[in-house]
Amino acid sequence: MRKKVIALLLAVVMLVSVFAACGGETNSSTGGDSSASTPESSTGGESSESTPESSEVSTGDGEMTEVGTPRSETLIVEFQSATDCPGQFNTYCNGTSAGIGIHQLMSAMMWEMDTVKGEQFPEVAADMGTPNDDFTEWTVKIREGIKWSDGEDLNAEDVAYTMNMIKDTDSIGASSYYKQVFKSIEAVDATTVKIVTNEPFPRLTQRFGVTIWGNDLRIVPEHIYSQQADVYTFKDEQPVVAGPYTVHSYDPNGTWVLYQRREDWEQSTLGVVNKEVYGVTDAPPAWVWMRTLGDDESTKQMAMINNEIDVLCEVTPEVLEAMMAQNDKVRAWYTDFPYATSDDPCSKGLSFSQGKGAPYNDPNFRWGMTLMLDFDQISMNVFEGIGRASCIPILTATTAMTEMYYQPMKEWLTNFELDLGDGTKFKPFDPEYKNRMAETLRAQGRDIPTDEAALEDMFGIGWWKHDEEAATKLLAKAGVTKEGDTWMFNGEPFKFNVSYYSSGEFQAARSAQAAYNQWKALGFDCTLVSESSATWSTNLGTGAYDIAGEWPTGGITKDIYSQISAYDNALIKPMGETGSGQGMRWDNEEASKIIQDLAKISPDSDEAYQMGMDFLKIAIEDCTMITFHSGVKFVPTNDSHWTGYPCSDDPYNGPWWWWSCFKYILPHLKAVG
Amino acid sequence: MKFRSYFIKRVLTWALTIWIGVTFIFFIPRMFPSDPVQNMIAQITARSGSMDPAQREALESQLRVQFGLEGSLMQQYGSFLWNGLLHFNFGPSLMSYPTPVNDIIGRNLPYTVCLSLFSTVLAWTIGNLIGLLAGFRKNKRSSKILEGIAICIYPVPYFIVALIFQIVFAFILGWFPLTTTLPASGDAAAFWAALLRASILPAVTMLLVGTGWWIISMKSLAGTTAEEDFVRYARYRGLSEGKIGRSYVFHNSILTQITALAMSLGGVFGGSIMTEIIFGYPGVGSLVQKAILSTDYNMILGCITISIVAVSTATLIVDLIYPFIDPRIRYS
Amino acid sequence: MAKFKKFWKNANFRLKAGLIITTIFFIIGFVIYFFPHEDPFAFNTYPNKLGASAEHPLGTTNMGQDVMWLLVEAIHNSLTIGLIVALIGTVVGVFVGLLAGFAGGALDRVLMLITDTFVVIPSLPILILMTSLMKGSSTVILMALVLAMFAWAWPSRQIRSMALTIKERDFIHTARFSGEGTVQIVVTEILPFALSWSLSNFMNAVLSAIGSESSLAVLGLSPGSLVSLGNMIQWAREKNAIFTQQWLWIGSPIVATVVLFIGLFLLITGYNDYQSMKRGR
Repeated sequence: MRKKVIALLLAVVMLVSVFAACGGETNSSTGGDSSASTPESSTGGESSESTPESSEVSTGDGEMTEVGTPRSETLIVEFQSATDCPGQFNTYCNGTSAGIGIHQLMSAMMWEMDTVKGEQFPEVAADMGTPNDDFTEWTVKIREGIKWSDGEDLNAEDVAYTMNMIKDTDSIGASSYYKQVFKSIEAVDATTVKIVTNEPFPRLTQRFGVTIWGNDLRIVPEHIYSQQADVYTFKDEQPVVAGPYTVHSYDPNGTWVLYQRREDWEQSTLGVVNKEVYGVTDAPPAWVWMRTLGDDESTKQMAMINNEIDVLCEVTPEVLEAMMAQNDKVRAWYTDFPYATSDDPCSKGLSFSQGKGAPYNDPNFRWGMTLMLDFDQISMNVFEGIGRASCIPILTATTAMTEMYYQPMKEWLTNFELDLGDGTKFKPFDPEYKNRMAETLRAQGRDIPTDEAALEDMFGIGWWKHDEEAATKLLAKAGVTKEGDTWMFNGEPFKFNVSYYSSGEFQAARSAQAAYNQWKALGFDCTLVSESSATWSTNLGTGAYDIAGEWPTGGITKDIYSQISAYDNALIKPMGETGSGQGMRWDNEEASKIIQDLAKISPDSDEAYQMGMDFLKIAIEDCTMITFHSGVKFVPTNDSHWTGYPCSDDPYNGPWWWWSCFKYILPHLKAVG
Repeated sequence: MKFRSYFIKRVLTWALTIWIGVTFIFFIPRMFPSDPVQNMIAQITARSGSMDPAQREALESQLRVQFGLEGSLMQQYGSFLWNGLLHFNFGPSLMSYPTPVNDIIGRNLPYTVCLSLFSTVLAWTIGNLIGLLAGFRKNKRSSKILEGIAICIYPVPYFIVALIFQIVFAFILGWFPLTTTLPASGDAAAFWAALLRASILPAVTMLLVGTGWWIISMKSLAGTTAEEDFVRYARYRGLSEGKIGRSYVFHNSILTQITALAMSLGGVFGGSIMTEIIFGYPGVGSLVQKAILSTDYNMILGCITISIVAVSTATLIVDLIYPFIDPRIRYS
Repeated sequence: MAKFKKFWKNANFRLKAGLIITTIFFIIGFVIYFFPHEDPFAFNTYPNKLGASAEHPLGTTNMGQDVMWLLVEAIHNSLTIGLIVALIGTVVGVFVGLLAGFAGGALDRVLMLITDTFVVIPSLPILILMTSLMKGSSTVILMALVLAMFAWAWPSRQIRSMALTIKERDFIHTARFSGEGTVQIVVTEILPFALSWSLSNFMNAVLSAIGSESSLAVLGLSPGSLVSLGNMIQWAREKNAIFTQQWLWIGSPIVATVVLFIGLFLLITGYNDYQSMKRGR
């Protein structure tokens, strides 16, 4: 008996000691981390002057955030996932994710983007660069007056140093590309950089400045980085920056970073450039707390309803609806239907693995499958009718693109004909989509405008007709025929998979599910396949799919070269291999010729615009892929602590909190009360 | 003498089990069409929009070299056995390159171990107590009620329980934070206070769901033991019910449960995934999940190897001390 | 029939209740399921977001699917997965366990090594690994096979130790002396013992398979068009049914899971009590 009791006691002691051991471990490791991240220990003088505690005195109601700043001076913004490298702010390490606030608040870009106009403007640069005749030599002027957060001037030396650093440090991701492009980069004087390229390079600003989201070229302070033994392993825990904010503190687990406005923010990129480009001189919020609420949608909406966060990245319409119902300060781009902005430059659609051969590589098959679809129902299933139709493959129908390409092509689209193979022709374009949708939605009690232009803005200029008869003929032309209840190809039952990405991108996933459902109902023997991110990009690259819900990257600049360059058929790799081209393996000689020619032409020329238009016509004729809607983004904001977010009534910028242009939104925000 | 040969055999099995386990884990991800380089590029393009084909190609070849994926499969396996299994050095995380896997796991492991171990052991203790009562005093009303509650909560999927608790106690009542936000300032007291406050809901939900199983299994064990001859004999001898419960039924059932506890420690990794997702709690569970979804070979291997080693070691220890506790078991 | 009546009379409350609940689920899953109805997964079959009515007792989803038929199909598929997993797990487990227990020697050691490995490997991460790497194509069988991977190890360990104790009991020695072959001994003397344990294990395995499938579904890793209880919960969650208060949609698969579990649980415990009572007489 006694022995047993002792043994049991022993077991308990063991458990307790495991506890104690792990308790101790937590203590030491987190203790170490948190002490390392206190700002006073390593930043320069200016940030320690106004610690959260001291500025607390100035606030009225005294509500504090969980990180110890006054709520009334803190803008709380979501970023999408926690970083595994907390405290690492050097974006030239692979593991650093710039989206945790680094590029929104601290980075200095050469050229930034006006997302409303779809035009770039110089940020660190003072002009858009002056090329020589054959685009092999560029002279770029650098702005005067921008200071690093430690008081040093930002000059041409920093720019030349950064570009050379990327080029010469083999471990930096972009290194080999820089070697390929640049012969030399040098600072001629304090405000001039001379860039010599190996080949004619007409798109310097598009490639090394922001077009969408951001850009990998972020200017670093030479006087800091040149002191490091290895710029690739340098973590840069207390970065010296040219942007308007510096890091105040961060979570040792990577779920949040607290940014503090620079005392001398007027000498930052924002202070100098905003005045000149937008004519805005207001100060941005004193604190920006960037945090992630994890992957769980329910947590996000509860935090928003409880006013614990001011801006969320993106939610589903169902989540937005629930939040708006419970908190009247929550809104998205529009206060009412359709709520979301349709200006995200990634349209969602379906691509065909054309490398598999027939029938996928046959334009008749792709057109046939398109015309089988009832787009009205797809719209209803995806976001309950919300979304702008984006019928042209590859090119997304954003507001700017609609103006630049869709409207000018409207007549061509209306007259565009398909040869059905039985001697008849068919005009597939359907401009009536917007009117039908308006009616359907009105019947549901939605308030839909009647004005033609407003409808076109809401639902797009049109999509493709739903015509099973024409579709059947086109499929027959491609060898796919219906015998009895079975669709046959080459004498065998025709089967295919419809894949979609199941770890996010719900617009694309829902589109694929809806299309699958309609094809299935028409008797196609198809299977719905959900893929996780573990295999998705590999299978798309190797062509190991039949039809997949995809979201090819679009753009917002008038020159569409960077969007279409990957469709050059010279880049197509054999099936089973991945390459730099498109995984769908659309092989069109004419289109590839245009891409290759376009590469040598100035993006601003009229010729480039015409060639882009020609490319799109080929893409439509060939039905490169099926695209449904432009990127529809429900980005909720909360007016209870801050107002002045960009919205449909005041569209001074897009709701792109995760883009680097976020800093230009900040001065517009005003604290409530 | 007998103990020594048992000991050697048992340790040998322990080593072999671990080896087979990690070999399995090493090869499975590599047999599927999943490529960390492609995933990394996808991640970069998803963040940064379009990438020039030339830039993409250059990056791809560069990453392939950096990730150390060029050697033959056998070479990679050999180097994993040597560095990973024998030296516990799993190399750099591929998705957070070049941060070492060990750094990232080391940062997350204490949270998982403390939260899950605490709730697992507490659930085990409470569950066994209730189960014992329910199994031994079968017809008592109180034990029936406790058991009834347990079997009603046990089948509810964990995330639903967690979500309900989050909605009620964090969202509506506001007693606890919605997610885990730890302050970074050097103030240790504030840090621990925040951590404690954030840990309560995850711990309670894991406890609730975990307890059910132990009640059920302990009850059936106790029920069977209570029918065995020696218990009947004790009853005939006129021993008090309390004494029979404590020294006969409890003793004989708890041994099985100790082994089961050791083995369930593996669930500490898996079980915490949903907790971490819903409560935004730091830990290894979501780390494994994220690593799998981005094909971070090194991170997958690191996390699962640790789990396998921990569980096998726990069972090894239990097996070795078992005969001291239960004289009926011989080293055989 | 008379036999059943007698059984029913002797059965305790738990066994009766468990039997009734389980039978109802089986009827839903394997009888009602075959009544002619629209494909419940097909979108836009009915108007969406309807409340409960005579035509749609549980309303419709955001995609215009009938929740009741979705639930019927989900119960069918989840039960099928559970049964296949339990069957494979139990059969393989019993076979391996008996083989190891009786063969002894090197075979025993090798088998137990493999078994132990599977016990020690954390199952959920590996299931996540397998399901995220396999294409999530929609077969019930494939999903069941993956789940079965971890379902056999624990039973075989248990059966082996059971076999070891039984092996030493007197009646086996008697049988051996009377010239019965090993196979015959296993079949006639030992299998009955193992079977009674296996039955409990079988029902448990059904439950844990359904539970694992739900966890995978919530992580978005269950096949995209597989209508299962887990996927149903997940789809409703994806469409934010909790916060938009579409209780019937999100609630019905949860309630079904819980009731199914309670039914099976009562069946197991009731059956065990019934057995011990019978032995006690």
